[in-house]
Amino acid sequence: MRALAFALFAVPLLAQHGRYLSDSHHSSIGNPQAIAAGTKLFMGSCAGCHGPDGGGGARGPNLVRRALWHPLSDEAIFQVIRKGVAGTDMPPTKLTDDQTWNLVAFIHALTGPASTNPAPGDPAAGKNVYWGTKAGCSNCHAIRGQGGSMGPDLSNVGGSRPLAVIREAIVEPAKDLYYLGNEAATVLLKNGKTLNGVAKNRSNYSLQLVDAKGILHLISMTDVKHLTLSASTPMPLDYGARLSKDELRDLLAYLAAQDTRAGERKGSK
Amino acid sequence: MMRMLLLFFALSLGGFAQVRHEDVAKGAAEDWLTYAGSYSGWRYSPLKQITSDNAKNIVAKWVYHVPEAQGLKSSPIVYQGVLYITDANSVFAIDGRSGRLVWRYAEARADKGGVNRGAAIWADKVYFTTTDNYLIALDRHTGAFLFSKKFADVDKGTTSTSAPLIAKGKVIVGSAGGDSGMRGFVMALSADTGQELWKTYTVPAKGEKGSETWGDLIDWGGGAAWLSGTYDSELNTLYWTTGNPWPDYNGAVRKGDNLYTCSLLALDLDSGKMKWHFQFTPHDTHDWDAQSWPMLVDTEILGRKRKAVLHANRNGFFYALDRVTGEFLRATQLIDKITWAKGVDEKGRPIMLPDSDPTPQGNWVCPSVKGATNWMGQSFNPGTGLLYVLTLEQCGMYYRSSQEPQPMKNFSGGGATEEGGQVFLRALDPKTGKRVWEYPMTGLGRMWTGTVSTAGGIIFSGDDDGHVVALDAKSGKNLWHFNVGEMLTASPIAYSVDGKQYLAIASATAVFSFGLFEPAANVEPPVIQVKD
Repeated sequence: MRALAFALFAVPLLAQHGRYLSDSHHSSIGNPQAIAAGTKLFMGSCAGCHGPDGGGGARGPNLVRRALWHPLSDEAIFQVIRKGVAGTDMPPTKLTDDQTWNLVAFIHALTGPASTNPAPGDPAAGKNVYWGTKAGCSNCHAIRGQGGSMGPDLSNVGGSRPLAVIREAIVEPAKDLYYLGNEAATVLLKNGKTLNGVAKNRSNYSLQLVDAKGILHLISMTDVKHLTLSASTPMPLDYGARLSKDELRDLLAYLAAQDTRAGERKGSK
Repeated sequence: MMRMLLLFFALSLGGFAQVRHEDVAKGAAEDWLTYAGSYSGWRYSPLKQITSDNAKNIVAKWVYHVPEAQGLKSSPIVYQGVLYITDANSVFAIDGRSGRLVWRYAEARADKGGVNRGAAIWADKVYFTTTDNYLIALDRHTGAFLFSKKFADVDKGTTSTSAPLIAKGKVIVGSAGGDSGMRGFVMALSADTGQELWKTYTVPAKGEKGSETWGDLIDWGGGAAWLSGTYDSELNTLYWTTGNPWPDYNGAVRKGDNLYTCSLLALDLDSGKMKWHFQFTPHDTHDWDAQSWPMLVDTEILGRKRKAVLHANRNGFFYALDRVTGEFLRATQLIDKITWAKGVDEKGRPIMLPDSDPTPQGNWVCPSVKGATNWMGQSFNPGTGLLYVLTLEQCGMYYRSSQEPQPMKNFSGGGATEEGGQVFLRALDPKTGKRVWEYPMTGLGRMWTGTVSTAGGIIFSGDDDGHVVALDAKSGKNLWHFNVGEMLTASPIAYSVDGKQYLAIASATAVFSFGLFEPAANVEPPVIQVKD
């Protein structure tokens, strides 16, 4: 597992700020009516293979998670629905343009940046959850320069991640590889100095560590006597129980709204 | 482990090093804090571990391949061992000793493609601009987003490519896009908030002074400011160069000098007010932007000590001006073959030769559209007293189109091609403007590499064939070379970590760092423990 973890180490570094190419200018995207119409189409024609939540099934891939590694533009999803994927079980369709865009709108709601879709919950209430002591998110995560530096920056989390992925990272942070690049580390240097923080990047030869003050330390492994790494994420594992259903929903609404380009989106084509 | 982390978090924040004005003002040393290494634009490093004697022992220390890069034009910034390098709409923080990526910031939603020439650093923030004209500030340790500010509208033809220059808390940015019609400007934004402080257009508005040098196309006149400038803190003056007028090759539709294109502007840092201007190429019709570094050097010129600004121009001449007054002092030929002007007069205005304008059939003119030099970083070495400039001996065809000019449609009023030619790295004496030595290169005139010179007496640069080279600063003798296997398109820098000197340069797709050979150390490996 550790070998796999380190082999994939570069991925969260790349994904941290989002390389999301799903920005769309089409009027159906983020439109509740289009999403609702697309939901019906999806449940009737797509859910059998891709699962009712897009989470994947025996014949179709997980649409939500794959968006993290291979995001498709809305136009590309449109073409995939139209033409299918040759050599796979994904068939072409004969939907109208409007129907196809409704379906794209639903898939975008599942897989596109959270900020481009209507999120349930109250972002104002979620703001209090985020900055409050019960959740304590800001101890480790910063938004626009405010908050801790140990965890990933969340200034653009809504602008780069689907809502389902944000939710999963909160309630099941150890499920996947969210902690990679954010492993708690204690370094005893040969000069006797000890450093604590998160290992942002590590090889057999060098280590880049960010400490609790948010300061980066570049460490050569030849200077290290002893390195202790946490096998799991520093992110608390109990948010599913710690927060009420409403608190979690509101927190998600607040995070979904974190978009460094909020308000800059183009209108319909 | 978690408790331990939170305990550490509870400790007071602050108290770490920050980049201050005086750090940038003192020039490069261990760090390289601004695009050209210093406000005066010298690209000079006082590091002297690597010398002309031991340059033969230079080896590659690491290489970082920039994902999806196609022609990096970025010159790294270095602070406390971290290199910050940019590609279009992205910044990469790289460990200067190991070449490992520390963090990456990418703005995938920028509304345009393009290039980027570098980042800037101030306090604890790293700054860069996106192709769609956002200034973005990031935490230098983590790459966390701090703020962004949109400073121009891409829908009005403006894009952004240059590394910002930061002086006294003001982030100076410029405008690109002049070849398709736009109105150029230089602008200051607050380093703390991104708030606009001033904006100075490089082309006057209709009715303003200078507008009489234009016709109806003045609103789209160009004069882009697509390269960073230099700064004299004593005079509190920015020196910024401007690009060509639009449409590039058809001067008939914009009769007059077309102020303030192809010029050097002296701007007050606090207000942006133009103190003086000097136009190198009035009414340019060959796309000879003035974008080459205005180097601030105090030296004797024509028998008198001067606060000079030196400028090797794309039009083929090497200029010296008084940077206090803007007075023209001298111009000499940068390249051997210039066919459009027989020289410059006592005011610095070119003495034109007939039949040099682009024509519908094509007109053969020297220098070519790439120019006698271009935006490649020049270097001034106070040890040798010489200026090092990449030059291109090349001619080309210039065509004029009689089509109706249409802004923002990739229309430039004609076109240009270039053929053959040869790149020379030339050492010039600022006192006389004359050539001291030259290093001829093989290749096809495709390189965009600049130079860095050091107190160790070397010039570090790249040739026109994909080799990084070290030359003796006094003689131009080749001391060392390294084949990166692709074209070099950016300017090098020097830095130091833990007392070891490095020389770094971006090739088309990767960043290389070089240093002196050291045998591998036999070190006891650390104990690594993984705890649940």
